Amino acid sequence: MTALEQAQGLLAAWAQETRTPEAGRLDVVIAPEKLVAATTALFDARWGYLAGITGLDAPKSGQIEVLYHFCAGAYVLTLRIALAREKPSIASICSVIPAASMFERELAEMFGVAVVGTPDPSRLFLPDDWQDGVYPLRKDFAEEASHAE
Amino acid sequence: MQAVIALLIFPGGLCVLLLGLAYEWLDRKLMAQMQNRVGPRWYQPVADLVKLLAKQETMPNGVNPLLFIGLPLVGLASVLTAALYVPLVGLAPSYSFRGDLIVTIYLLGLLTFCMSLAGSNTLDRFSLMGALRALTQLFSYEVPFLLALLGPALAAGSWQIAEISAYAETHWLILTQPLGFVVALIGLMGKLELSPFDAPEAETEIVAGALTEYSGRGLALFHLSRDVALVVGLTLVAAFYLGGMANPLWFFGKTLLLLLVVSGLQALFARLRIDQTVGLWWRYGMLLVLLQWLLMIVWR
Amino acid sequence: MPSERFVIPIGPQHPALKEPGHFEFSVEGERVTGATVRLGYAHRGIEKACEERNWVQSLYLLERICGICSHIHTTAYCLGVERLAGVEVPPRAQAIRVLIAELERVHSHLLWLGVAAHEAGFDTLFMYSWRDRETVMDVLEGLTGNRVNYSANVLGGVKYDLDEARAETIRKGVDYLEARTYYYLELVVHDPVFVQRTRGIGTVTREQAEWLGLVGPAARASNVARDLRVESPYAAYDLFPVQMVLETAGDLEARVSVRLKELFESYRVIRTILDKLPTGEIKGRMPKKVREGETVSRVEAPRGELFYFIKSNGTDKAERVKVRTPTLCNLAPMMTLAIGHQLADMPMLLAGVDPCFSCNDRSIVVRNAQEAETRWTWEQLRRYGIEVYKCKR
Repeated sequence: MTALEQAQGLLAAWAQETRTPEAGRLDVVIAPEKLVAATTALFDARWGYLAGITGLDAPKSGQIEVLYHFCAGAYVLTLRIALAREKPSIASICSVIPAASMFERELAEMFGVAVVGTPDPSRLFLPDDWQDGVYPLRKDFAEEASHAE
Repeated sequence: MQAVIALLIFPGGLCVLLLGLAYEWLDRKLMAQMQNRVGPRWYQPVADLVKLLAKQETMPNGVNPLLFIGLPLVGLASVLTAALYVPLVGLAPSYSFRGDLIVTIYLLGLLTFCMSLAGSNTLDRFSLMGALRALTQLFSYEVPFLLALLGPALAAGSWQIAEISAYAETHWLILTQPLGFVVALIGLMGKLELSPFDAPEAETEIVAGALTEYSGRGLALFHLSRDVALVVGLTLVAAFYLGGMANPLWFFGKTLLLLLVVSGLQALFARLRIDQTVGLWWRYGMLLVLLQWLLMIVWR
Repeated sequence: MPSERFVIPIGPQHPALKEPGHFEFSVEGERVTGATVRLGYAHRGIEKACEERNWVQSLYLLERICGICSHIHTTAYCLGVERLAGVEVPPRAQAIRVLIAELERVHSHLLWLGVAAHEAGFDTLFMYSWRDRETVMDVLEGLTGNRVNYSANVLGGVKYDLDEARAETIRKGVDYLEARTYYYLELVVHDPVFVQRTRGIGTVTREQAEWLGLVGPAARASNVARDLRVESPYAAYDLFPVQMVLETAGDLEARVSVRLKELFESYRVIRTILDKLPTGEIKGRMPKKVREGETVSRVEAPRGELFYFIKSNGTDKAERVKVRTPTLCNLAPMMTLAIGHQLADMPMLLAGVDPCFSCNDRSIVVRNAQEAETRWTWEQLRRYGIEVYKCKR
């Protein structure tokens, strides 16, 4: 049984959809409220480590997708969670994986995803005087607009 | 008239200051050579001094202005005074009285004290931390250093620098008191906060330590005081352990040799943490110097 | 007795930091009781900027994320984009990529050794290791024409080929560096004062390292077998395999010696590549547009796992490029570890993970959204300086 099959087994209870986009990868779509449970299952089984959190903004579908990448050796498991673009919010996984704190702070300030229960919600990258409610990695924040004279 | 010349020009005053700058340059140059660098040109310490003196001094908020301006002056004055009691360039000290050894050591300690006070005087956290460390270090090296200098005094049966130096002319105490010599030389490095005892001004932690807030004249004076302290310290160690007063050239050679050793030791080590410094002095420095004393007493 | 919090700020401008970052250590006496981190001082908005540039332009932008590990960033990006586009990269190009990546690792580790020594107040070692680092920089300059941003990767291959004469100068450089590295390894494990500053400091057990998510040499120093060159050989690492270097102690000393021992592996791999360089082309054909899809590209940067997530929407521009640098993984655990250590150990502890703030800070635009004009003329800047100065008086 490869590591990915094992992961698939661990997450079977929460998986809404499972995809294999390329060799060595597994994408599992889960509901937002199931995130902590799924992460705990992975952590309890000592399946890899959290390699990062990616945000994807898709204004057309009105969603922000949050990707939790877990890596184990050559394998990459991605938990995909779709959130509504209006007031997106997700539970923190820092209680399970404390190292996620930095990733969650980055996600919150760059995409405006409220991470509920993250231990340190202060800004990590953006300046102190950055305007609230402006999230630079969202698609409607145009780089060119900010350079306009 | 002679007293004024001795005080202001030679061997005190100007001469000591120039000597201090020359030694600073040598120390920096030697360090640089050992670290595979080119090092500064000969006039660099003078240039630094002139630049700092010409710079506007910024007084931070929340300091006592009297202390802020006064402490560098007191520090420089104390080491310059100390210079009068030691046999500079191998000549007899300008002033001498019974017990001047203790006064000299006290005056050298006063410089460290002035720097610590200057650090505590500001609200800056690096300065406070540096001041705390400088004082901690003072308490660790001062006693072994003092005892190491009292060894020759004990052998000579006098607490007067001139008499000890005269005694040392016929007795090379480095041979009879090698442990004391080592402790005295390394104690001097501790006193001058040279690497590896530079925790009080560890730049990667607390920037410039107690002197972080100083710029311009105050900094120049403190640097100058430290250079003078280097001269006084080297002179003391050379006079006590390396054959006392001698003709200036020969004496010069001895102090330069000591400086070479000091520079080499600086280049050789990583910085000690302050707790390691304290441990080193009280565990080994103190033990060594006491052992030396024990040997001396048994010898007699 | 926690009475009042006495906070020592390190950064953004501080002699211990060669790049801007901000740390606050609350201390009691010399003991650290709390630590926080604030980044973003070197933010250039590269992730966002990649969404507005075409694939080729982004390559040059990403190379400038970091000066020390510039090549590995483009390697990760190229491998990812080539996979998305289905481009076959000639084996010679892949081998040259690995060659430069290993030279870069040598450069990075030697630089790091100097920085770590400087943090410990051991400036002599700092000067020596940086002098030797010049050798590898000269080698890289000879190979690519550049000392820092080598610009060797292009989409589909590499830009520079090498001949036997060039290979010979690289061999000479590597021979010299190998001898020096032996010397440094001896030094750092035997010099009593340096060892006093590193042994038993900042110890991370294997469980902690796994739990805290350490990557790269910091993880391998705690006996966690994480090295993508071995676990998931990319580029030409399947042809030129690397042995993983592990240490068990998990303290600063182990982190130093893991890095130095890794250098020997790098030297060996460099020599093997030079001896058995595959023949053929050095560049494949790359289409202008990349078909829709997502890919994850992971490579082993000198500091640990570098993670790229690239999403294409079928045009000539990326939909999203996510960069997760190893420092982001390693910094948070160090903040946890700091508590209970001496203040004097902090610079060493930070240096122990080889933090690269420029790597971390990449994802926003420089401008403040509210400000009308942020590009100042010299005159304005001068006037502003005078105003501020007056107010302070």
